[in-house]
Order: sequence, then structure tokens, then C-alpha cells
Amino acid sequence: MNVNMEKSAYENFKDISQDEHIAPGTALCSGCGGLLALRLALKVLGENVVIVNAAGCFTLLSVYPFNPFRSSWMYTAMACAPAGAQGIRDALDILIKKGKVKKEDDLKVVVLTGDGTANDIGLQATSAVLQRNLDFYYLCYDNEAYSNTGFQMSSATPFGSKTNTSVPGGVNPGGTAQKKKDLFEIWRAHKPPYMATIAPSHPVDLSNKFKKAAQFKGPKLFITFAPCPSGWSFDDSKSVEISKLAVQTGIWPLKEAICGELSHTVIPKFKPVETYLVAQERYDHLFHPVKQVDVIRVIKEDIDHYWQPYLGVEPLQDQS
Amino acid sequence: MKRIRFHGRGGQGMKTASRIVGTASFLEGYIAQDCPVYGAERRGAPIQAYTRVSKNPILERGVIVHPDITIIADETLLDDRTANVFQGVYGGTITMINTHYSSAHVRERFGISGKIVTLDMTDIVLTQIGKPVLSSVAAASASKLTGMVTRQSLKEAIVRELFSVDIPKEVVKKNVEAALICFDRTPDIHIDHSEPMKEDNTFVKLEYSGPYLGTPSTYARGNTVLKKTGNWRLFKPVIDHERCSRCRACFVHCPHSCISLDTAGYPRIDYENCKGCLICLEECPKKVILKKREVREW
Repeated sequence: MNVNMEKSAYENFKDISQDEHIAPGTALCSGCGGLLALRLALKVLGENVVIVNAAGCFTLLSVYPFNPFRSSWMYTAMACAPAGAQGIRDALDILIKKGKVKKEDDLKVVVLTGDGTANDIGLQATSAVLQRNLDFYYLCYDNEAYSNTGFQMSSATPFGSKTNTSVPGGVNPGGTAQKKKDLFEIWRAHKPPYMATIAPSHPVDLSNKFKKAAQFKGPKLFITFAPCPSGWSFDDSKSVEISKLAVQTGIWPLKEAICGELSHTVIPKFKPVETYLVAQERYDHLFHPVKQVDVIRVIKEDIDHYWQPYLGVEPLQDQS
Repeated sequence: MKRIRFHGRGGQGMKTASRIVGTASFLEGYIAQDCPVYGAERRGAPIQAYTRVSKNPILERGVIVHPDITIIADETLLDDRTANVFQGVYGGTITMINTHYSSAHVRERFGISGKIVTLDMTDIVLTQIGKPVLSSVAAASASKLTGMVTRQSLKEAIVRELFSVDIPKEVVKKNVEAALICFDRTPDIHIDHSEPMKEDNTFVKLEYSGPYLGTPSTYARGNTVLKKTGNWRLFKPVIDHERCSRCRACFVHCPHSCISLDTAGYPRIDYENCKGCLICLEECPKKVILKKREVREW
């Protein structure tokens, strides 16, 4: 596959558009990391989009009679956003073919879902449209739990963290006992033309990935890291900082896959993962009243196991 | 029966406040009932919580339309029509507002009936706890105004309720201290009107309406700006433009599209909608953004 990055790739903050496609005043939490990623993504996608929004936190973007978008927005149940996208794409194609919509008025279809929808409730509908090679974008904002309904565990919830349905204590002092589902690899098995992980702390990387994706026809999938001040329990002002730490510790790899071929866009500095964990109260039980060394070791080993095949070096996380 | 209605914003702890008052009155030997009401959960949105306290079994359920005590924990809700904080307030209601203004100012501005008490609870929690969480102090004020709860029961109820949601010991201790200050500063007033308003128990019959009512559409573009979420803010980011290097870090990282660049490239904050998350302050490499406690004039 020939990938031509245009000369005008994003290099710094000055390249990021000043056009806003989401108005202020949404009901989303102050400091929402997912909203920042969406805002940056729409700056690249532009105004000619139709968003198909599965139920989740982002339901609150548009609470009747208010709407923050300059483009169109349709709301669906959790299980069926990709099916909704298929319907809209087909309708647009038919209308263009019949001459009822001009080709230049075509819209990009963008599915917007949380991690609960992407990993659990809407996974089969996603797999189905990937197999049908639907021409659309998919943006999953991964806040690692069902945040909108009170922070219950999803299958994207990381090992060792606390949610309201995996409360540490008694038989399970480490909190969430299961490992986070590897949604990226599930998607990659379908070999879509473009997919990437992004983070709101890396706006230039994020913008370049959306720009790159635009040249592919077919599914273009994104998972954004979405720090959640209320669910993860940290101060609203720290969302970007937490996101930076996630990338720098290697716990949130920034990568892309073109037709299934994987590459990393940022090689982290492998700061000790504790710097990331202690910044959030959802990991408090790993440090107080006693440090749960075993749980932290597993988290470190998982980071190492992930990165070693790509970097082929000694343990990256400080094992002390 | 005493009916207490709490008004606050999601994240301020009104649900917990209603529980603390319920538990405290239960410890005093009363029968208590509490429940919160909110839409889809999120920080910052207006919420209500209710506590009913009685010597006899409580047969009422649901929202409290005519409160005997109203606690308004966030003064920005006073002007918010959707929050409707003065709904059903009658001559016998005691309204407690978290503000630095006097009760005379409130009466002059809003002309509501009943007694009005004001206290700057935010100031107390920022000094004592260091965080703008109002659950314990709001509960303390409400408890005092019922005239049915002692300091001891209040203290025990706070410890029980905060422990049950995993609040660390030292934070619970600070909450108790703040609450007791608030309890003591809340005036010991009683309701002159001995006859409380009866809650209306009749059912509202809803007629069938067509599917278009159930699937509303909005055709306005970006009209959320009308919501003025600047009300959510407790601290205000202020940019020192003289020292600003126009690096755009604040503009790029504002999740709420509230920072734009003027023609000279300097960032400008939309204070009508800025929620005060302060990511801009955190991300500013030169640290030329300051935070100021929001003191509102109304």
C-alpha cells in the first residue's frame, strides 16, 4: 500500500485549525479528555460530517433542545451505531447516484462510541461493518469504564484499577482482576485500511493520523485515550497531564496499522508506571494502606510484554 | 414531618448530604427517607436530593414540591430556570444559600417568601478540606435547621456515610471539622408557620402523543452556547497577556472550545462558557495563566 503523506503534515500547534466544530456549553464534565480528542479530530475532519453517536457519555453532547455541532448528529442505541452508519452511508450513496445530492456535498460518516459500546455491547455490529468494508470513521473514546452511568467496569477497564463494580477489598484487594481487552488487535484481525490509537495530549500525532486516514476508502478506526476526571478521580486540570503520563510510561501505545501492518508513532520514554498510577485515585488501593507490589509488578510486566517484541530490549519498566 | 430539599451541581455532594441528614435523624430515633434526582450523571449539571424526617412512618414518596428547608449549595443555580430552586417555597420554608451575600440581599433580589439564611460554605470547605465538596457542610446546615439533630449524631452520620464511600480517614476528619463549624454558624431558627404544606398526591394522567414528540430533532447549529456553562466555574483562569508567548498550548488543549485566538494570535477565554477545568493553566509552559476564586455579583 502506497501511503503519501502530503507535504503539509501537522508539525506543531500552529498547524492546528482555529475553526471550532463543537460549540462550548455541552453538558459533558469539566476537563473531559474524550471531548478534547473529539474536538481535535473534528478540526481535521471538518464540517461535512454526520456523527452517529452510540449511547454513552457523549449522549450528553446533545441534550434536547441543545446541540453543539455545526454538522449533523444522530443518536443510536449502544449496540447499533455501525449499523446506523451503514444506513446513512448507503442513503448518501444512493442519493448521489440519483443526482439528488451533489458529489461535493457528500458527508463523512463518523461513528462515536465509548469503550463499553466498542468493546462489549457494539462489538459484533462493528465486526460486521468491518467485514462489509463500509467507508466510514469510527472513534472510540476509551475512558476505561461505563463512566456515564456511574463508573461500572467494562471489558476495557485495566487490571488493578478500581471501578464501582470492581471495588478493591476482601478476596480481591487488587480491584479489577481481569485484563483490559485488546480491542485494537480484535479490529486489526479484520485488516481494515486504516486504524490508530491516539491521545488528547498528543494533538499533532492525532491530527496527522486523521489526515492520513482520509486517503483510504473503507473503515478508518480510532481509539482515543480519554482521561475521565470524575471516574478516575483526579483534578479536572490534570486530564492532559495524565494522558501524557500514559504515553510516556508505555501503558497507552500510540500506533497505527495500515491494512493490518502495525507501526508505532511515538516511542515512549518508559517512565516508571507508578508515576501514572499514583496520579489517579482509582489506583489508590495499590499504594495505601500497603503497597500491593504483586499487582504493580503484573502491570509492569504487561507493559514489557507488549513492547519487547517491537523494541527487542531488556525490561523497560524499572522492576524495583 | 420535615421535608428538606437540596440543590447543587453534580460533584458537589448533595446526594451524600441528603444521606447524612437521613442517617443523623435516624440516629436521633426518627424515621428518615432520602433520594437524589438527576438526569444522566455528570459533574456540573444541576441536581436535587431530598430528605424526609418524621416521628411517624413516612408514606410520601418522590420529589419534594413544598420543602420546609431548602439548601441551595451553589448560588449560580439561583438564576438557572431549569434548576427552579424556589419552586414550591412557602411562608414556612427556611432557605439556606451558600453565598457571601446577606439574606437581605437575597430577599431584595428574588423576593421569595419564608426565612432566608446565608452562609459562605465554600469558604469553609476550601479552608478546612481544601476541596469544594459540600456534602458534609450542607448536611450540617440542614441538620441544624431541622432542630431535630444534635452535633453528636451529625458527627457519627458523617463518619458512617463517608466511610461507606471509601473516603480516607484523614479526609473524613476534616469533613467533620468543617461540618461542625457550619453547624455552629447556622442560626438556630425555627419555622413560625406551624402548618406545613401538604404534598399533592394526585396522579397526573398523561395522554398518548405521537412518535415525533418522543424523537425530537434540533435544527439550530451549535446552540449549546446559550447554556452559559461558565456558571459551573469555581476558579477562573486569567491569562497574563503581557507575558504570554502565543505558543497556543492553552488554545489547543481546551476541551470545551472556550479559548480562541485574537487577530494578534493571543488567546482569549470565553468566560460565559468556560467551566473552569484549568487544563490551560496546567499546560501553559510559561505559567502565565493564574487562577482566581470566582466571586460572583448578583
